[in-house]
Amino acid sequence: MILILDYGLGNLGSIRNMLDHLNLECLISADHKDLEKAEKLILPGVGSFDTAIERIQGTPGLKELLDHKALVEKIPVLGICLGMQLLTNGSEEGQLPGLGWIPAATKRFPANGLKIPHMGWNLVRPTGDHPLTRGFADEIRFYFVHSYYVEVADPAHSLFKCHYGLDFDAAVGRDNIFGVQFHPEKSHRFGKQLLKNFGAL
Amino acid sequence: MSAKTICSRCIFDSDTPGISFDDQGVCNYCHQVDSLAQTYKTGTPEGEARLQQIIDEIKGAGKGRDYDCVIGVSGGTDSSFMLIKAKEWGLRPLAVHYDNTWNSAVATENIRKVTGALGVDLDTYVIDNKEADDIFKAFLLAGVPEFDASTDIAFVQVLRSAAARFGVKYILEGHSFIAEGVSPMGKNYFDGKYIEDVHRRFGKLPMRTYPNLTFFQFMKWALLYRQKFIRPLWYMAYSKPAAREILQQQTGWQYYGGHHLENRATAFLHTIYNPIKFGIDNRNWSLCAEVRAGLISRDEALRIYNTPIEPDPELVKYVKKRLGLSNAEYEACLTGEKRTFRDFKTYKQRFERLRPLFAFLADRELVPRSFYLKYCFPLKE
Amino acid sequence: MLRTRVIPVLLLRGESLVKTVRFKNPAYIGDPSNACRIFNELEVDELTFLDIRATHERREPNWRVLKEISEECFMPVSYGGGIDSVAMAEKVLKLGFEKVVVNSAAMRDPALVTAIAKAFGSQSVIVAIDVDRSFWGNQYCFSVSGTKKNRIAPVDWARRVEELGAGEILLTSVRREGTWSGFDLDLIKAVADAVNIPVIAHGGAGSVGDIGAAVRQGHASAVALGSMVVYQKKGMGVLVNFPDERQLREELGR
Repeated sequence: MILILDYGLGNLGSIRNMLDHLNLECLISADHKDLEKAEKLILPGVGSFDTAIERIQGTPGLKELLDHKALVEKIPVLGICLGMQLLTNGSEEGQLPGLGWIPAATKRFPANGLKIPHMGWNLVRPTGDHPLTRGFADEIRFYFVHSYYVEVADPAHSLFKCHYGLDFDAAVGRDNIFGVQFHPEKSHRFGKQLLKNFGAL
Repeated sequence: MSAKTICSRCIFDSDTPGISFDDQGVCNYCHQVDSLAQTYKTGTPEGEARLQQIIDEIKGAGKGRDYDCVIGVSGGTDSSFMLIKAKEWGLRPLAVHYDNTWNSAVATENIRKVTGALGVDLDTYVIDNKEADDIFKAFLLAGVPEFDASTDIAFVQVLRSAAARFGVKYILEGHSFIAEGVSPMGKNYFDGKYIEDVHRRFGKLPMRTYPNLTFFQFMKWALLYRQKFIRPLWYMAYSKPAAREILQQQTGWQYYGGHHLENRATAFLHTIYNPIKFGIDNRNWSLCAEVRAGLISRDEALRIYNTPIEPDPELVKYVKKRLGLSNAEYEACLTGEKRTFRDFKTYKQRFERLRPLFAFLADRELVPRSFYLKYCFPLKE
Repeated sequence: MLRTRVIPVLLLRGESLVKTVRFKNPAYIGDPSNACRIFNELEVDELTFLDIRATHERREPNWRVLKEISEECFMPVSYGGGIDSVAMAEKVLKLGFEKVVVNSAAMRDPALVTAIAKAFGSQSVIVAIDVDRSFWGNQYCFSVSGTKKNRIAPVDWARRVEELGAGEILLTSVRREGTWSGFDLDLIKAVADAVNIPVIAHGGAGSVGDIGAAVRQGHASAVALGSMVVYQKKGMGVLVNFPDERQLREELGR
């Protein structure tokens, strides 16, 4: 069962819609008992970095349980959009530390003529061969909407690269922890392929 | 369980309504197709000559008008192919579509591609979506198999009305008895009165935008407007697979995987409702036709037919959503009481009583001959 | 490279889709869920639904229809029509819509734009600016489905809503809507050049060439299509469709 964590932010129903369509069993929940039973975890998120971290830290026992599931039990985790940024050490958008599950920094797009946020469909390139990024045809695109981007410390952790003024990491992965900056649930067959890959891990 | 007799030529079996077998075990439907091929000289020079005559008539009658014929389109193989042929023959067709608001993208895309590639104008009649759903739901609640009857009837009415509006006498239809066979009468029936009566008893919304083909309308088109219903494929050699190839190459048209599966309502009828509730599997019509035409072997056809249909769970969800049915209500429809058209008011008896008139009209192509054969003779119980 | 978005805009009236010409004479088009499903099957970039009677009739959005729509789509969908509070915007967004579109409410109470942007992010709020000319030829912003004239010029209002926190502007030429006669390129350029947020050009598209012109000459960031996606051709029958991807690719280099 894939647990879609409900911590008050993000478009959870859309994610569930796509997983249902792919026949992947999933559950939207804020309940720790459900999180304990989860075999895979999706961390959604829309909004601001600090608000998200506050919500997680502010819920008693949640951060500990998340760390346990991700770092000890090592279940596959997928952060989506803000959810991916939460996996990093911290963001220029806020003051609070991120979960730190992937050594990376979240930075603001430089305001050099391009419109912020980066919003719309953009192309991504796989950096190598990885189960999460397999099964796509030549041209791969996803729907993005974000003002901050992620830069990994270790290039080996970058799975998809995208270009918007600069090259940034559109998808990251380290062991069982993954993140995608784009919205797979809003990216038609590309999103379906990605979630299918995640479901098969 | 007693073994079913299967026709020695096609794959219709003794369960098929109205069937009978001759000494060689060949069924009456095979004979009916043979007889039609004889009457229409299908695929012979004589047949083609007759078709050419009709084409010339159409051109002559259409001079000075924007269009000289109308062709009903659904995005499917036959109607799309009809458009290609019509343009090839130098005709100026208007494509006419009845939108029951349940089209899939395959249907709309095919219509777009084919009309676009051929430069053909499209006229559409769209029924109010809520009314469409009300009528569909009424048929489900009525427990009869003809879930999609409203689409079939409206299609004809819309076609005839469009022809009248544009001052066109000739209606071209892509039906081919060689490729599709003549569908056995008995299990499925539809006419305008049937729709009215089912709706009266089980519908909730007033029928305001549904284009019904009432008896009055039917006679009006035949006697007053004297519209001619032409089926070019009855005169010329026609193979569906070959047609699909041509369509794909010339227009980018796409196959949707089965008879009329380009519309979600028809897909529901054929892949879920009829098989599950009534044990009706209509794939045998086209399979029989393919066997008769030598496109597949009888064994292959039987193998395909004996493989159960895979229902699409997305389609079930969609049906429940559109028709406002809870899971329990939907199950109740699928397992509930079964009725037939005989439990409702229809024009059947009237059509039978007026057989001589319709024979006359069929000879002059003012009503389709297949209508005459299907509706004007009493059904064997 | 970021693709120029081409967005079908569908008009809702009651539980059906309609199409207007110059904001008048709604013609029946079909079922919203089915149209959604078709656009989903065609994998369009994004979809926008506007309820053209909600504000006029002073009623809330049709929540049931909205839920049915949002469930269908695997791409971003926006909704506008009758949204006049943060609570209502929240309800729409929670249903699964990416963005809300506001017009009349923003005119009445500009602070609403800021409030929604603050609560859910700028990218979640599009301000719709409907432009028409007065008798004397001056351009004004209209609200309540084109029936109420507001004495402010499009460029001024555009600048203002950007300040207020709007994420995008849906700029519609009332005069061109439903006419297939091409976009009002001067209007689009004036507004697009005046602000830094994306401007979606709407009203008048008749061909793929028009789409390209809106971007190249009008400097629009995205293009919205109305009649083109619900009719086979100008003056012909209803057909839910989307321009050929190859043609769009050639025209927009996407």
